[in-house]
Formats: sequence, structure tokens, C-alpha cells
Amino acid sequence: MSEQGHESYREEIGAYLLGALSESEVEVFERHLSGCERCSEEVARLQVAADAIPRSVTPLAPPPRLKKSLMKAVTGESPGRAPRRFRLPAFPRLSPALAAALVAVGVLAGVGVSLLASGDEGKTVAARVDRARLPQASASLVEPAGSGKGALLRVQGMPTPGPGRVYQVWLRRDGEIVPGTVFSVRSDGTGAAAIPQGVKGVRQVMVTRERVGGARAPSEKP
Amino acid sequence: MVSRELDRLADEELMQLVQQGDPRAFELLYDRHGGAAFSLAYRMVGDRAAAEDIVQEALLSMWRSRVRYEPARGSVRTWVLGIVHHRAIDGLRRNLVHQRRRASAEGIEEVHEAAERTDVEAARREEARSVRAAMDELPGEQLQVIELAYFGGFTHTQIAEMLEMPVGTVKGRMRLGLEKLRRQLGEVVGV
Repeated sequence: MSEQGHESYREEIGAYLLGALSESEVEVFERHLSGCERCSEEVARLQVAADAIPRSVTPLAPPPRLKKSLMKAVTGESPGRAPRRFRLPAFPRLSPALAAALVAVGVLAGVGVSLLASGDEGKTVAARVDRARLPQASASLVEPAGSGKGALLRVQGMPTPGPGRVYQVWLRRDGEIVPGTVFSVRSDGTGAAAIPQGVKGVRQVMVTRERVGGARAPSEKP
Repeated sequence: MVSRELDRLADEELMQLVQQGDPRAFELLYDRHGGAAFSLAYRMVGDRAAAEDIVQEALLSMWRSRVRYEPARGSVRTWVLGIVHHRAIDGLRRNLVHQRRRASAEGIEEVHEAAERTDVEAARREEARSVRAAMDELPGEQLQVIELAYFGGFTHTQIAEMLEMPVGTVKGRMRLGLEKLRRQLGEVVGV
């Protein structure tokens, strides 16, 4: 292994530990790792930091049915719920009246981002901010080129959401509002929220302040 | 009901029983780490039902592959969270385009913070605060790529596209961020 080759692998250690390599890249990296003492040592050293990241998550109470379902499957005392692949919940569409109300709540409660027409290239769209409530805030939506890619909402000048609160992203499609990820902001007011599913077909991206853990529908709580 | 004798055992001792196929020991491990597993999955997918599925699938896989657990490679908690993280990333990537998480006026179930009923739960909450504080000390550009990768499930190439920067820059920030986080954690919790 040349020094240059080694350095290129060394540079991937962070991505490897964070799960940010593709499956094929992981295979190649692990082949190198098995024969490289220096990289192995550095992986072991930085593993401590990567392992700590999930411990930063605010503890939530799992629903009791999860344990019941899991233990049924484990003990085999009953057929239990078969393990499923990442099920996507299907809920009925909201009524137009209710959807309109929720949108109004969402926009009034935080940041509304109006999307421009889609183009062939990636773009960044400035957000419309409720100046009455967030006078210092600005936000932008980063949408990479191509379909099926995630988007990123960046915010600046946002106040911390307060104790027990987080910011939550909402995606408005025709007649429905889809909950997105929750995020917080740093002490300097900056923050970012991933939108893994992208914004194809999304009419509006909004942010509200919610209780820690997020919500399934936007709330009006300040 | 899990017996009091089992309750006194350390995770690694319980894991030895799990490796022998003892479901009571597995149940106790769920009681200890199921909340963290669910919290991580929920943080990543932002949906309660999807998070439940990920945890169920991850822990069943852990039960089925229990003989593969090696204490030398880390704590049981780290092992559990690693499996959940891997499953959640897998789910996010394979459903990136088709993901539909719909809100409804019906059947809304809020997710609640775990109550601090025990010293262990209070310690876990304090641990979360400490680690979060250490992460908040990172330069913003490093924390951003770390969170997009770890919690968002994005690959380094996707992040580079999103942030409009070279892949090498993203990878460098990830490694430097972990390096700094390791130092911060050393100061905060004595890692």
C-alpha cells in the first residue's frame, strides 16, 4: 500500500464510522482495514466518539406494545408480529378544511418556505420568515439536482426552542401535512434539518416548535 | 416477570444467558436499552410507527444473532444502538423516494419523553445532556456533516451534493469532527 493510497483510506475513517459510506465502499474500506494497522488503530480511537453520538438523543418512552410484540416473537409463545421491513404508515388524507387550518398554524408558528419551480439543477431557495415571531431568523432550503435526493433546510438567527422543545419540519403536499425530522439550533442560532425524502411534490416546507420527540401534527403551542 | 436475581446481573452477564437462549434475560436487556433504541430510531426517521418497526426488527435480529456478540468489541448498549442505527440507515436509504409519513387528525399518538422515575433514567438524561453539550462544542460545519450522516442517513456523496462542496471536504470534516468530539468527551465524561 502506497502512502498516498493509505491517506485516501484514512480520510474515509470518519465517514465509515458514521455509516456514511455506501455498501460497496464499506467492503473496500474494510478490506483495507484488515491489513492496515494504522487505520485500525485510528478507527478504534475514533469509535469512542461515534459510539457516543446516539447517547446524545433525548430518551423517549417506547410504547408498551413494542415490548409485548417483541417478546411474543422472541419466546415464540404465539406467532407474534413477523419482522417487517421499514413499514411506512398510511394514514387517511386530511380533509381540505383541516389541512388548511394546519397549514395556517404551521406558517404562523414559525418559518414558511415557498418553493420555486423545480429546475434541472440543484438550487437554494430563500425562506419566508414570520418576522413578528422570529425577527432575527433567516432560512434557506438546499435542494440538490436530480430526483429522489434529500434536501436540507438551513436556519440562522433562530432562538433556542426552549426547555423540552425542539423545532420540527413539516412538508405540505396537496391536502396533507407530513411530519419531518426534528432538530434544534446551536447557541449561535444556526441549525440544519435533513429532509431525507426530498421535496418532490412538496408545496411548502414549514417549521414549528414542538415538544421534544416531535408531534404527528403541528401544534399551536408557542 | 423477570426475576430479581436476573435484575442484579450486569449487561454482559445477561448477555451470556441470552446467548444460551434465555428470553427472560433478553427481556431485561430490552427494559434497560429498549428506550434508547426507540429514541435513536425515532430521532432518525421522525415517525413513531416506523421507529417501532426498526427497533423490533433490529432487536429480533440481535436475538437471532446473539452468539455473535463479543464483549471485547464494546458494551451491550453500544451493540444494541449500533444494530438499530444500521437498520434505520438501511430503511432510510431504501425508502428515500417513496417515504410517506402522513399526519392525520385521527390516531395521533404523541411521543413522550421518558420519565425520570429511577436513578438510571435520570443518569441517562444527564448523559444525553453531556454528550449533546460536547457535540455543540464542535465547529458548526463539522457538526452539520456528522448529524446529516449519523441521524439523516445520508452518504458522504449525498451530503457533498447538498452542501455543494467537494466530497473530500465532507470526509475531512467528518473525521476532524469525530476527533474533536473524542477530545470533548474526554473532558466531559472522562472517555
